[in-house]
Amino acid sequence: MKKIIAMLLALVMVLSLAACGGTGDGNKPKEIKIGVLVADVSGEEALAFRNYYEKYLAPHYGVTLTYTEQLEDAAAEKAAIETFAAQGYNAIISLSASDRASQLETCAQYGMYYAIASGMDDALYAEHKSNEYFVGQIGPSMTTEYEAGVAMGKYFKEQGVKKIGIYGAFVPNPMHVYRLAGTLVGLGLSYNGATEMEAIAGQLYAGFDLNAVAGDIAVTHYIAGYSDTMWDELGAAMGAGIDAFISVGMATTFFADMLNGAKLPYSDIDSFTSGNGKNVKEGSLKYLAGKYASSVGPIFAAVINAVNGNAIRTPEGYALSISQSYLVATDAASFDACYGADQGDKPIISTETLDTVIGEDVTYEQFVAIVK
Amino acid sequence: MEGQMKNNLGKRIVGTLAIPVIVAVVLLSLCALGGRSMINTALGFNNFVSYTAIVMITTIALSINLNSGRFDFSLGAIMTLSSVIGAKVSYAALAGGEGSAVLMFAVTVLSGIVLGLISGVIYVFLGIPPIITSLGVTLIYEGITFTITQGRYLMTEVQNDSMRACRNTWIYSALLIVAVLAFIIYVFDRTRFGCNYRALKEGQKVAVDTGIREVPNAIACYTVCGGLMGVVGFLYAVRTTNIDTSALNFGSIGIMFTAFLPMFIGGYISRFSNEKLGFFLAALCMSMLNSTFAVFSNEIKASTQSIINAVLLVLFLIYLSNEYRIKAFFRPIRK
Repeated sequence: MKKIIAMLLALVMVLSLAACGGTGDGNKPKEIKIGVLVADVSGEEALAFRNYYEKYLAPHYGVTLTYTEQLEDAAAEKAAIETFAAQGYNAIISLSASDRASQLETCAQYGMYYAIASGMDDALYAEHKSNEYFVGQIGPSMTTEYEAGVAMGKYFKEQGVKKIGIYGAFVPNPMHVYRLAGTLVGLGLSYNGATEMEAIAGQLYAGFDLNAVAGDIAVTHYIAGYSDTMWDELGAAMGAGIDAFISVGMATTFFADMLNGAKLPYSDIDSFTSGNGKNVKEGSLKYLAGKYASSVGPIFAAVINAVNGNAIRTPEGYALSISQSYLVATDAASFDACYGADQGDKPIISTETLDTVIGEDVTYEQFVAIVK
Repeated sequence: MEGQMKNNLGKRIVGTLAIPVIVAVVLLSLCALGGRSMINTALGFNNFVSYTAIVMITTIALSINLNSGRFDFSLGAIMTLSSVIGAKVSYAALAGGEGSAVLMFAVTVLSGIVLGLISGVIYVFLGIPPIITSLGVTLIYEGITFTITQGRYLMTEVQNDSMRACRNTWIYSALLIVAVLAFIIYVFDRTRFGCNYRALKEGQKVAVDTGIREVPNAIACYTVCGGLMGVVGFLYAVRTTNIDTSALNFGSIGIMFTAFLPMFIGGYISRFSNEKLGFFLAALCMSMLNSTFAVFSNEIKASTQSIINAVLLVLFLIYLSNEYRIKAFFRPIRK
């Protein structure tokens, strides 16, 4: 009897171990689990991306997509990656930028693929492009961010503003730094005498100093980050009689209600969502540069390919680095043109489009074509 | 005799108003030197009154338990969770339509009362130090809030004409200041509950030995604090046009630290008049400081503002701890 029990137990153990292996069945599609790192869980853009991923892509491809809570710093990013690794996730898509080098190194350490669904610093890309676990980055490059700022600044300059307030969002986040640098240049302003992208951006990493700004348009108020006094600061700016409030990100989250109520023209670099549609049509949001929700689709496809062993690399064999540009709306009609094209189950980058670049024989050129 | 009474009254008036007047003179002078106005618009004044109400009510809520030796970290978590419940319920019922602000206020305060009551009951029944209990309660409330909202800012629920109407006037904040002051002064200075509270505060053992029941008094204190933080939660939602619900792992306890300096200032003023009036005057000082920070925000960054607040707190504590020595130092000069 004891022998029979011992044999049964041994059999159970063997079967259990076999189940743990799990990869022997070549016909069964591999279950893919992707963790998404996010620093912003509430912004219009963040919500639009999340809806597209969770409600549109994940069910279609049968992928488990798990979002983190709001990651405040590099330590939180690292901890989140380690948690995903412990749960057997295959890859990380990052929308958080506290320390991208650390994120990539941590992913590589645990054998997880790593991708960035926004732009990244050129120097950082150059340093890590050979890493086999680095899938790549698809999103506005820093030059694109700068150009978005330039266009926004030019728009308000052409409107004839003389006195403005600026919301610098989360400078020194690189994306916001380059947008802010571009905005100053677009407004025809210099910063400590500098008028070139890298010269201004390099200084803005150390913080923004209003006294360093010179030019024909007066920047009288600068607000940044998230603090208890920022609504008072905006109130003080409005009281000082600014002509417009220019934001390089998140103004529609924090200030839209106040700015719409005061009918003060404002701008933001965010995304095309119903909330922003209301701000354009019923409020005073006069300039919106935004990504469309499905712009984060291609990086998802690149991750699927990498996990399935079909990683797409540049012709030189490096991780992907493809820039995406912004769409711009300045009135209800232009907003509808951008927003209407990227709706619900009919996004600009649909699953039919992504299907053409998910598989074994996809070339780099094919992939770039759908991103562009 | 009459002269002595007049002298005492004069001393009390001077003692009560000294700090607010000095703060006002210093800050208004700084603004004038910088060519700015502390408050230059109607919106600025609305924000000023609203912030005064927020600081005053938070200070009162903090002091109620702290004066009795109960350190309550859960105030911020109660504030956020009650306002989230209020916002969700009012939006579900009225979809941001007419009366949304009134309904949200009522539900938020009611939720705060219930959450405070639960906090008090947990403290009483667990019988472990309140500082430990409140840490646990904070984590639970933060977790519930995060579960409800997924850590997102609540915006749609609190951005409507009804809430805007509250923000566009100082009247409602001022009414809340008056109502809360009247309620707290009545409850803590004019009722049997208040007498018991003060007796327990001054000497718990003696008070209990004389027949005062400590448990109901403690639970009532937590309940009142919860209701007050509900009021603060509503005012914050009106002021910021959103509710930040991302706090986890004690991220909500920061609200307490805005109340420490006014609590000590209020405590000092209470030597000359009513303690709650002291909290109001202290909140007025903090609001003037906040408005000054706002007009000088280009020169004084948020991090520097925090340092200034901390330095002021430390300086005031140093003064309170060494008051007799400082007075003794200046006495020969007066002679």
